[in-house]
Amino acid sequence: MDSAIFFNQLFAGLSTASILLMIAAGLAIIYGSMGVINLAHGEFVMLGAYATWALQTFFGLGMLISLPLVFVAIGAVGWLIEKGIVSRLYNRPLDTILATWGVGIVLQQAITLGIGSQSRFVQRPEIFDGNLFFGDLVISNYRLFILGVSLGMLLVTYLLLTRTEFGTKLRAVIQNREISECYGIRAERVYGLTFAYGAALAGIAGALVTPLISTTPTMGTTLVVDAFLVVIVGGVGSLVGTALASGLIGEASAMLSMIFNDTTGRILLLVAIILLIRFRPTGLIPQTVRG
Amino acid sequence: MTSTLRNDFLSIAAFAALIVLAVPLFFGFDGYELNTFARYLCLGMVAMALALSWGTAGILNLGQAAPFGLGAYIMAMHLKLMNSTSMPGGMPDFMGWMNIETLPWFWQPFHSLGFTLLAGLLFPAAMAFAIGAFIFKGRVSGVFVAIITLAVLVAIQLLFVEEQGYTGGQNGLTGLALLTIFGVTIDNYSLNFYYLVAASLLIVTVLATMLSRSKAGLVLRAVREDPNRARFLGYDVSNYEILVFSVSAAIAGFAGMLYTLVLQFASPTYMSVSFSLSIVIWCAVGGRESLIGAAIGAIVVNMLEGRLSDVFVEAWLMVLGVLFIAIVLFLPRGLYGLAVSVLDAMRSQDKARHGTTAKTGEPTRPGESASTSPTASLSAGE
Repeated sequence: MDSAIFFNQLFAGLSTASILLMIAAGLAIIYGSMGVINLAHGEFVMLGAYATWALQTFFGLGMLISLPLVFVAIGAVGWLIEKGIVSRLYNRPLDTILATWGVGIVLQQAITLGIGSQSRFVQRPEIFDGNLFFGDLVISNYRLFILGVSLGMLLVTYLLLTRTEFGTKLRAVIQNREISECYGIRAERVYGLTFAYGAALAGIAGALVTPLISTTPTMGTTLVVDAFLVVIVGGVGSLVGTALASGLIGEASAMLSMIFNDTTGRILLLVAIILLIRFRPTGLIPQTVRG
Repeated sequence: MTSTLRNDFLSIAAFAALIVLAVPLFFGFDGYELNTFARYLCLGMVAMALALSWGTAGILNLGQAAPFGLGAYIMAMHLKLMNSTSMPGGMPDFMGWMNIETLPWFWQPFHSLGFTLLAGLLFPAAMAFAIGAFIFKGRVSGVFVAIITLAVLVAIQLLFVEEQGYTGGQNGLTGLALLTIFGVTIDNYSLNFYYLVAASLLIVTVLATMLSRSKAGLVLRAVREDPNRARFLGYDVSNYEILVFSVSAAIAGFAGMLYTLVLQFASPTYMSVSFSLSIVIWCAVGGRESLIGAAIGAIVVNMLEGRLSDVFVEAWLMVLGVLFIAIVLFLPRGLYGLAVSVLDAMRSQDKARHGTTAKTGEPTRPGESASTSPTASLSAGE
């Protein structure tokens, strides 16, 4: 096999993995901390993409300036949804699948009705145009930038969870909600902010992928299934696991589709994931906290 | 007659009266109009299949569309062959386009209707048995079952879309013959056909109710509430789970076969993730604890879809989404739960009016007090 093809495919896998990681990280935080299976997560990605598009089209803002705005805006949407709907369902977790699915439909339709279903395009920041060349290996600057951002966000999230007061409170609530409430932690506020943060991460992911894939109201649906597989494979409640799993799944799908073809590669990947869940249901890096 | 048995009997009779008499009467016994309703009944049957595994045993199968789609394709394969007899080698047209020389071996037996009917039930069931044995023997539960079943569904759909030469790919199987059974050709727009579907649904209802009221059904309900406790009592939990998983797949396969007869084509969209999630939605709307409730949920949601798409041409999906969120929030036990609480309220009012304080010892039906919602024990993290 040509080594150039191999290395290019390796980088493509890494690029896929970095996008998956951003989407899955938000999902993992929401699922890991509240046990909520957020099927609307793909729609948060989609909203992030549309927010970036809107800022660029109507206000002429570049993507880099838009990122913090998107973060806040999608976070706010997430916060509202948590307050209005998800917070009423904490005692019946499986029902959150159904409710967030409904939320996903509503968001998708809102965009379809408001903006239209045709695909939109967003310009990537000009400073990231062009490619790096290492012999035959071609690396797009923009993909490298995404990789950097997603690793950066992983680090920030890790620090947020382990080094801040909010993170301490969140971990306390995850371990035992009632006892942490006895210590004066307002669990419902912690949950609201966590959900908002997870949504905001998805929004950023959406903003970053728009230049790579076309922006349509249904773009989130396919992404959320993959992100979910990443979360489950990585192990619930483990950020490192999520990172590892997105790397693994991104690379595996790139390699398998090179060796076979896209469809066969995907089928084999799904089979591998099924086997993994069956024999290691706690994921690659299981949570070691007492329940 | 115990009160449970009486209630089952009454609700099945009411359901039968609804689909055998009331609905055809409403549509003026017009087979053409009833074709749409026959479609709803098929979807009701697959919702019932899910209610059997989700409501009774707490197995949330997000891949219920897989056995449904398999059943649909199996029936379509037979009908396609029946319509291809005049083609060279009796081969379906799309195989020719894909340069396939001879009819593949796994298409051969579908010339026989008997084999087709059996396969439509047994193949999905066998597949569910294999998958069920694989996951339940490993004590996989809760959300992991949901994810695995979803992954299986996606893999199967990909396979069907990819293998164009054998399955018709994205187009599915179209250009099907009408079903001929014992020399009688069944027109899918006839009144008789509607009754065939309605009768099938009633038979499935009776059989599924019998299963859920049997000893196995009781054990399954115990598993739903607390699998470990059921295990400690000496039951092999996984065997019961595999059983209900397979039976549910057979019912879904049956529903799929009927669905192909109604629509006269089989398409890979029958196995799409969104269709599979819709089945879950119907169950939740109708009330997953009740088999008939789930079927009615499917019928109501699909009728509503039809209505709403007429009234709100653009926004009907949005209305549906909002409605659905409202149901999950305010009617967690679905329409069935609503019906039960209304009936209970009426009964207690009745009692208060007649002052029958002596009859307070009347037993409440098991599993119908408001506190025993199955979701309570299904915490996702466990």
